[in-house]
Amino acid sequence: MTQLIAFNVFNGLIVGAFYALMALGLSLILNLSGVINFAHGGFLALGGYLAYTLIPHIGFWGALVVAPFLTAALGLIVERFLIRRLYGRDPLYSLLLTFGLAYIFEDGTRTIWGASSVPYQIPASLNSPLSSQFFFLTGYRLFMVALVAVAVVGLFLILNRTRLGMRIRAGTSDLETVSVLGVNVRILRTLNFGLGIYLAGLAGVLAAGMLGLEPTIGTALIMPSFVAIIVGGLGSLPGTLLGGLLIGVASGVTTVFFPSASEAVMYIMMGLVLLIRPRGLLGEEGRIQ
Amino acid sequence: MTTDNLSGKRLSRRAVLKTAAAASALQLAGPFIIKARGEGVVKLGLDNPLTGTYAAFGKNEMIGCQLALEQINAKGGILGRKAELLVEDSTSGDAGTAVQKARKLIDRDKVNFLLGNVNSALAQAMGQVANEKGVLMVDPGGHTDPITGTDCHWNVFRVCNTTQMEANAVAGVLIKDYGKKWYYITPDYAFGHTLQAGMEKAAAKLGGTKVGGDLTPLGTTDFSSYLIKAQAANPDVLIVLTAGQDAVNCLKQAVQFGLNKKFHIAGAQQELEVLEGLPPEARIGTWVFEWYWKQPHVPHVAQFVSEIKKKTGKVPTARTWFGYAAAWTCALGAERAKSLDAVKIAKALQGFKLPPEVALMPDGAFYRAAQNQLIPDLYVGNAKEKGEANEPEDLFDVTRIVKGPQVAGTLEETGCKMTWPT
Repeated sequence: MTQLIAFNVFNGLIVGAFYALMALGLSLILNLSGVINFAHGGFLALGGYLAYTLIPHIGFWGALVVAPFLTAALGLIVERFLIRRLYGRDPLYSLLLTFGLAYIFEDGTRTIWGASSVPYQIPASLNSPLSSQFFFLTGYRLFMVALVAVAVVGLFLILNRTRLGMRIRAGTSDLETVSVLGVNVRILRTLNFGLGIYLAGLAGVLAAGMLGLEPTIGTALIMPSFVAIIVGGLGSLPGTLLGGLLIGVASGVTTVFFPSASEAVMYIMMGLVLLIRPRGLLGEEGRIQ
Repeated sequence: MTTDNLSGKRLSRRAVLKTAAAASALQLAGPFIIKARGEGVVKLGLDNPLTGTYAAFGKNEMIGCQLALEQINAKGGILGRKAELLVEDSTSGDAGTAVQKARKLIDRDKVNFLLGNVNSALAQAMGQVANEKGVLMVDPGGHTDPITGTDCHWNVFRVCNTTQMEANAVAGVLIKDYGKKWYYITPDYAFGHTLQAGMEKAAAKLGGTKVGGDLTPLGTTDFSSYLIKAQAANPDVLIVLTAGQDAVNCLKQAVQFGLNKKFHIAGAQQELEVLEGLPPEARIGTWVFEWYWKQPHVPHVAQFVSEIKKKTGKVPTARTWFGYAAAWTCALGAERAKSLDAVKIAKALQGFKLPPEVALMPDGAFYRAAQNQLIPDLYVGNAKEKGEANEPEDLFDVTRIVKGPQVAGTLEETGCKMTWPT
């Protein structure tokens, strides 16, 4: 029993790391632009499908590098021509827009790649457990966790050490002042959106290796990501990371005792956090009005 | 200049008026035309998932229906009238939407037949509506037992198997070849519940036992924590009962964990759509197919396969056949009853044997009287990594064809007590 719980805690951390990767992208966009990007799952699916299309030509590793950038490029276009028009309005407008976009993405991928899931192959070197005892530690999953770690560290370095990152952070706390100081807020928001979508694309390439790649792959993953953001706290990227890991572990441990509730437990956690500490575990005060 | 302008304005206003008049005339005329056509055609309303988890299944059933309608119309339609297919997206899991679309098809479009639904729970809900309205319904691919069991209706017919039939077909092979201790991974809704109950019942008769099992929410993406539990229970066979996308996720992860090297992986229902979506190394296990495209010795199958291939470029799946047989059931029932009256058609379909060009199975298929359940052949066998180079879609190796009557149980066992309108 102890072993079962220990296994599930480890496993929950792996799953949670993945939720966090998606949630970080969402969180970036939400913090700076106030846009609740419901199309994030659509971008994720697109990342996976682009990789699927690219793998026969440039291999898995090539696709892992290229597909997220292509996804981000599309993100830049969407931001430039659609989302930009809605900044400064009630968040409901952009929410409705991205909600519609989510449907367009889902049906678009269905039209191009078909409704059935497609066989997405990952390198054989990653596709087996490392030991018989810890069979849930496959090469692929450890690689994924490592990549999430790299992405998180990279993201924090960008945000804390580069001019762009500092501007994004400054803009997150006070966009008006930043703009008065001569920073081009439009470009800042566009680049930030692209960065968020890059993370979605990367999550998509990784998810397709573990899950069946089909048009609704993102839909199932987007809700845990929102929960991760709310549990961790709006406005805080470390909070989002923590939130992702926490719901991953909670869901895994619940499976041991009461499997039917393994999904519900995330929402129960979210409810509790909202009741007891509405700003989230590491959230800033006053983010939720 | 001014006059020109004025006259120009006047002219354009006239044009606008004319257009408006024409438009209103069209609007007035429109309904009459549509109504006239409505009396001429026989309408089949398909209320099935086109989006969500079951979109692929729903679309294949739709393609089957479309081919059937083309053939029906080429042979002179239904009772000499043209047959028409109306399609609505029921979503994959929202019973509210499915019911609303069913009501729309019946009340507004006045369909003569209602077809659907891939999702068992939605099929059950639609069955209620169809029964209340007295419309003949054919369920192509929703498997849960009560639809033609405890919850059966005189007007609801089903093409696909009950979950109990699938369980009975595969249980013997699994116990004989792989062992008696089973662990279940079961989707947590109507289909999964009855399928697991069916497997447990079939296994118990043969001395099999359940060493554990988990109900997984529909749409589960990550099965790792369930697989960790399954491994700890150390069964002989891991019974995977998830369908569609959930099955893809579960099998993919089980193989990545190397569990197929620790115990046998099997289940009841398996579908070509799922095997095609898996990477080759995850195409494993012992399963039941409800129809298979590669039946070289069965007449008419090759022709059906080539006609579907012409439409889609792919071989038909069991889902395609479900849709095809369902639409043909409507046409054949009406022809047999010589009427579009639902009660007369339902009576005409009692015990009705599908003609070989529709049944497309070695032993044929018939609707069991007083249950309205089609009793077909079932195909037991193993998934295979890949087909021969010229047949890449041959991913299932049929080892045994099980005759429906052997696995259907008695009428009493199904629990169906049918009451007819008086």
